[in-house]
Amino acid sequence: MVKPQVSGPPELEGPMVEFTEVDPSTDRRGRMVFAAMVLLVLLLIPALQPFVGFYSYMLQLGIVALMWVAMTSSWNILGGYTGYISLGHNLFFGLGGYTAGLLLVHYGLSPFATALLAGVVTMFIGLVAGLITLRTRGPAFIISTIALLLMTSLIMDNWDLVGGSNGMDLPLPDIPLTWLKVPFYYAMLVAAVGAVLLGYRVQHSKLGLALRAIAQDETKAEVAGIDTRRLKVLAFALSAYFPGVVGAIWGYNLTYLRPTIFFIIGVAAQMVLMVVIGGRGTVAGPVIGAALVVALNEIAITQFGSTELNIVVTGVILIVVLLFFPLGIIGTLREKGKLPAVLDWD
Amino acid sequence: MRGLVQVVILGLLLGGVYALMASGLTLLFGVMRVVNLAHAAFMLVAAYMAFFAFDRLDIDPFVSLPAIMVVMFLGGAALYRLLFPRIEGSPRYGEMTVLMTFGLAFIAEGLMSFFFTGTFRTASPSYATEAFRVGSFFIPTAQLYASGASVVLLVGLWAFLNFTRTGYGVRATMQNRTAAQIVGVDVRRVSTISFGIGMALAGASGALISFLFPFFPARHWQWIAILLSLIVLGGLGSLKGAVIGALILAVASSLVTDYVGSAWSPMTFFLALFLILLVRPQGLFGKEHRI
Repeated sequence: MVKPQVSGPPELEGPMVEFTEVDPSTDRRGRMVFAAMVLLVLLLIPALQPFVGFYSYMLQLGIVALMWVAMTSSWNILGGYTGYISLGHNLFFGLGGYTAGLLLVHYGLSPFATALLAGVVTMFIGLVAGLITLRTRGPAFIISTIALLLMTSLIMDNWDLVGGSNGMDLPLPDIPLTWLKVPFYYAMLVAAVGAVLLGYRVQHSKLGLALRAIAQDETKAEVAGIDTRRLKVLAFALSAYFPGVVGAIWGYNLTYLRPTIFFIIGVAAQMVLMVVIGGRGTVAGPVIGAALVVALNEIAITQFGSTELNIVVTGVILIVVLLFFPLGIIGTLREKGKLPAVLDWD
Repeated sequence: MRGLVQVVILGLLLGGVYALMASGLTLLFGVMRVVNLAHAAFMLVAAYMAFFAFDRLDIDPFVSLPAIMVVMFLGGAALYRLLFPRIEGSPRYGEMTVLMTFGLAFIAEGLMSFFFTGTFRTASPSYATEAFRVGSFFIPTAQLYASGASVVLLVGLWAFLNFTRTGYGVRATMQNRTAAQIVGVDVRRVSTISFGIGMALAGASGALISFLFPFFPARHWQWIAILLSLIVLGGLGSLKGAVIGALILAVASSLVTDYVGSAWSPMTFFLALFLILLVRPQGLFGKEHRI
């Protein structure tokens, strides 16, 4: 193990790590065991009902954290691997919520059943949006994602079918109050695990390799024979799936849909902040970032109350991380060779 | 027909102001490849300055405008020096600048909401509600003054870029940063000045907003989305494109306001953006950028 040096440039320690690495196969097994343990704990949390006094609150916190994990892991496919920053990704979150909401209100279909379908809908919308917005690169792409979000929010504000700016109220789920949060918790858990697995699959596939090549130098990638356009659109569509799924579940959990909850750019900002803090382009980064920001947010709100200063803090943290740790927690730790093996999910 | 001409007149007056707002944004992109997502937030900061100067001290927005521009110029130059040199060499410079200005926008919005609350504000100098007639057409005085001021400032910007040594430097940097550096342009200094000018233009726009449109802190997202759509339409980094894009879209959105409803007028900008992306992704006057 390399000891942290107080003086001396840290980048010199980098190469040393190569030699201290554990045999990959045992390393891999260790990580699998760790992942299984985490999953087991997450699965068993709802069974704590007789033992904890703040049961629903705890589950609600879990629901929120898992929801963000699903969204950040999805955003990371496009924003992390491919390097195409979408500042309007909560558009899919909202549209997922509204799709399931409409199906519930008009046809009585439970969002637990239609969540996956809502994801398919948002993935399709993502495909179309990708075909248009991915005609440009860099800044113009980012601009068009913002425009897409504001356009959708404008439509939702003025569309009577979805209640305009008043939104829609959804019927309450028919579940005893004590257990009310349990199905939501498990639904979010499934979505979060699915999104992380999707991220992992993408990372380890040829697609992921191509996407990273695009992030590094799109022109070179193109010259190397990668159909960049098609793969970028594919990445966009994939990254639109799970936000739609969790949007459907979240809307049902809230029991109401309002444009100001789903379609404000602040939601996208949270996504970006979490991934940047955790580490863009890594599997664990979005998970760590989401958990950290949700926890900090909760502490801030319980300690200081919810004020306008919260978004100031969001902005300050974003800038500080970009200036001093542009690789995020996971990326910085890995660069210094101090990333614990259990967090190295790539 | 008369109604149509009236709407077009109002649209053109509005377009003058939009052009001023967009000019700072596109200048910044042209010189530094920075998409300043905080541009509209800074416009609103300036709008609050003008509003409070009028409300508390009875200073007309047109009088406070030059002072606001100076303050914003200095603030912008300082902000540039504080934040940007650090990330200049980054391989992901483009993304970093966008995320950074995204953060700045939230900081500005949060501080405005905290100190000035979310109430709608608008300064009401005497000319804000006046209008005069030319033939059978109405011309609102405030709009006329505002677009007059915009034209003066835009001509000033044009003159600065075309007839001063620093202006040459700015244009050279816009064309090719590395080449400009080779021929002896102090790119760092040019960038600082350009950032300052971009902010000063945001400041001037804000002073005009203070009496033209009711505003509140979170309003800036709508403004920035409109302005960004407009400069993509004109071609990122092209001042000519920004001005022409502003005039076209302001007229188009006025027509939409008149015939469809004011709620849908921002839609004009977004649809124009997606249309231009489909037809000509580099915009009307844009070069193809590689970033």
